[in-house]
Amino acid sequence: MKRTGPSVPSAERQRTLPESFEKQVLDLLPRLRRFAIGLAGSRPDGDDLCQMTIERALARRGQWQEGTRLDSWMYRIMRNIFIDEARATTRRRETFVDPDAGLAVGGDGSQEAAVELSLVDRAMARLPEEQREAVLLVMVEGWSYKEAAEIVGCPVGTLNSRLVRGRDALMAMLEDAQ
Amino acid sequence: MSMTEEMLAAYADGELGAAEQAKVEAAMSEDPALARKVEAHRALKARLSAHYAPIAEEAVPSGLAALLVKPAPGSGAAEAGVARLAAARQKRGLAPAIRRWAPIAGPALAASLVLAILQPWQASTPEGYAQGDVAAALDTQLAATQPDEAETRILLSFAREGGDLCRAWRGADAGGIACRDDAGWKIERRFALRNAQGTEFRQAGSEADLLAAAQEMAAGEALDAEGERAARAHGWKRP
Repeated sequence: MKRTGPSVPSAERQRTLPESFEKQVLDLLPRLRRFAIGLAGSRPDGDDLCQMTIERALARRGQWQEGTRLDSWMYRIMRNIFIDEARATTRRRETFVDPDAGLAVGGDGSQEAAVELSLVDRAMARLPEEQREAVLLVMVEGWSYKEAAEIVGCPVGTLNSRLVRGRDALMAMLEDAQ
Repeated sequence: MSMTEEMLAAYADGELGAAEQAKVEAAMSEDPALARKVEAHRALKARLSAHYAPIAEEAVPSGLAALLVKPAPGSGAAEAGVARLAAARQKRGLAPAIRRWAPIAGPALAASLVLAILQPWQASTPEGYAQGDVAAALDTQLAATQPDEAETRILLSFAREGGDLCRAWRGADAGGIACRDDAGWKIERRFALRNAQGTEFRQAGSEADLLAAAQEMAAGEALDAEGERAARAHGWKRP
């Protein structure tokens, strides 16, 4: 591999596929995956959700407008798929979260942290989907209320009250467990 | 006035405007239970952030990344380019100083992290002390009374373990946490935000992350308005 210029990432970026849609999505993947695993409650389900999200985004890339934020567009796609899937689950009864299965996100291997982590996982899994997504978007993914409401497609006030209910439930569950 | 749960949570998330923020602070200073509740909200947020943080640090499964590698017809170049870039980014992302931030960074920050570390303003003051406007704001501004449109805004002040006083601030495209020592405000943590379109749009999210980081550093609760004023009068020295 021959390099002609100095090793400046921005130069490299311009040389190869500047700003391609795929690359931008690739850059977002770690965050999207964190959201997916949080929503779905486990790595395997979260990765499935990621895959569905990427596929749908690629299929609908024409609908994304250059210059608008790709990240919120991707988050919106993901939460829509998740909510659809979660509803379908009541019929198909598999895929995403089984509230009592608990432990998942932290418990892939045999980390000593798994026990502590699973508390949070279990509590999150017991939240209604709408509260869980509000909690994740704001408290983990760092979106403002307004941004989160836009991703979810609901009024800010609705988002706010889901968030408060989710928080209260989480605090109660985590306290009980201690 | 009575304080709704929504307002308290929004306060903890840094979502309130100056007027409402002041109301909540006033109510908190009268009722310690409210202050504890805000603390609990922040603690929960810090816990959740920490819980999910490792996921965003992991390498993305190759199967997922592969979905995004264009099978460019006739040339393997495009494909290789994407793969190489991804690998290079991964490597950069693993620099310990950066990695520490990635998990709690908000959407805006995460996206711009790699760009941000190359900004000249950072290169010129690596791990240094606050200077100029930021230092002045850290010295003089109080979170409770500063003008809403101040270019550098103090988010909160707190004592860390050992007693040093620390303050979190943010400007339009950067923010951080600095702690006072004999030489000045030593910058302990730094957030950089790409100053692109839509700053208004993302402000609150990033600020909440900064607060979460401060929460993790703090030895106790954040200083209230009175505590801040007293600390300033004392030159931000350890009590």
